[in-house]
Amino acid sequence: MPAQNQPTQTAQTLRLPDWLRIVLIGRNPKVTLARIAVLIVSCFIIFKFILFAIRAEGISMLPTYQDGSIHLMSRVAYLWHEPQRGDVVSIRLAGAHMMYMKRIIGLPGETIAFANGQVLINGQTLDEPYIKFFCDWNLPPEKLGPDEYYVVGDNRTMPPQYHEHGIAKRDRIFGKLLL
Amino acid sequence: MKIIFRLVLAAALVALGIWLWTVLFPSPEKVIRKRLTELARTVSFSPNEGNLARLADAENLAFFFSTNIEVNIDMPGHERHVFAGREEITQAVLAARSAVSGLDVKFPDIVVAIAPDKQSAVADLTVEANISNERDPIVQEMKFTLHKTDGKWLVTRVETVRTLSILNFEPLRFPSIVLT
Repeated sequence: MPAQNQPTQTAQTLRLPDWLRIVLIGRNPKVTLARIAVLIVSCFIIFKFILFAIRAEGISMLPTYQDGSIHLMSRVAYLWHEPQRGDVVSIRLAGAHMMYMKRIIGLPGETIAFANGQVLINGQTLDEPYIKFFCDWNLPPEKLGPDEYYVVGDNRTMPPQYHEHGIAKRDRIFGKLLL
Repeated sequence: MKIIFRLVLAAALVALGIWLWTVLFPSPEKVIRKRLTELARTVSFSPNEGNLARLADAENLAFFFSTNIEVNIDMPGHERHVFAGREEITQAVLAARSAVSGLDVKFPDIVVAIAPDKQSAVADLTVEANISNERDPIVQEMKFTLHKTDGKWLVTRVETVRTLSILNFEPLRFPSIVLT
């Protein structure tokens, strides 16, 4: 007799309590499954085509963005309007695995120069509240073409030769940093 | 149910056939990607690698290039360097290997464009070089021109791509660590 009772006992001991079953698989498993499928498809679409998670490496965007910090970038930010001055953007190299994170300071057609650390746009000083560190750059004027943007990091304490910055073509701007 | 099973089986067989075809007859893009990844692995070396192994790797590197290879390195803020021929490249690589204790090179993005004649190709790629005891990696976009010679894709030209260009810029008067 004990041998006959054993399977029933095992099934009973394996059966989850109702509350735990509801927490884990919901009241209706089919609906839960459908929800999971929708969630997976949504995440795939969002993180493949709309948002991009990136990790900042290096010190060129200090103090605005810390080395090693994680951020979200929008790939659709510039579908309806062109990049604006002050936007922090990612500039692609050959692909999207490694990109530069820089701030746009110059727009197409403008002339950019640096004089004693101050950015001059068409000869006028640009107000940059995000710059917190001392900068003494002096760079001659650069005239931007119709699809060119001037990008630079917020940390300009090092000599300009050590800081990756300059003119980026519009098609290299991959997305805009959201947070 | 039987029809569904047969359909699923047929689809699986077709998928298997396509996979086998791509394994046995890889596309030129795939071959080039694989070759460039091998090149990155050959350039890399660990700090505890022996001198003989380093020498062997540097000599193996020559087989990735054509005899008339030209390497043109022009990075912002650094002096321009041009190397021509396998011998010069091997010497430059050996010099670089003696200057740093270890190097890990990766090509995280490789974009290949094959010419219509299928005999030459251009690969635009990102180089990520991590030097031992250096915190930040060197990141540089480069363009590799390849030519098919005796069934093998050989690199004929390597040049740096200026992702962010600056027209009026004074270079620093010392060479890059990659090139010394």
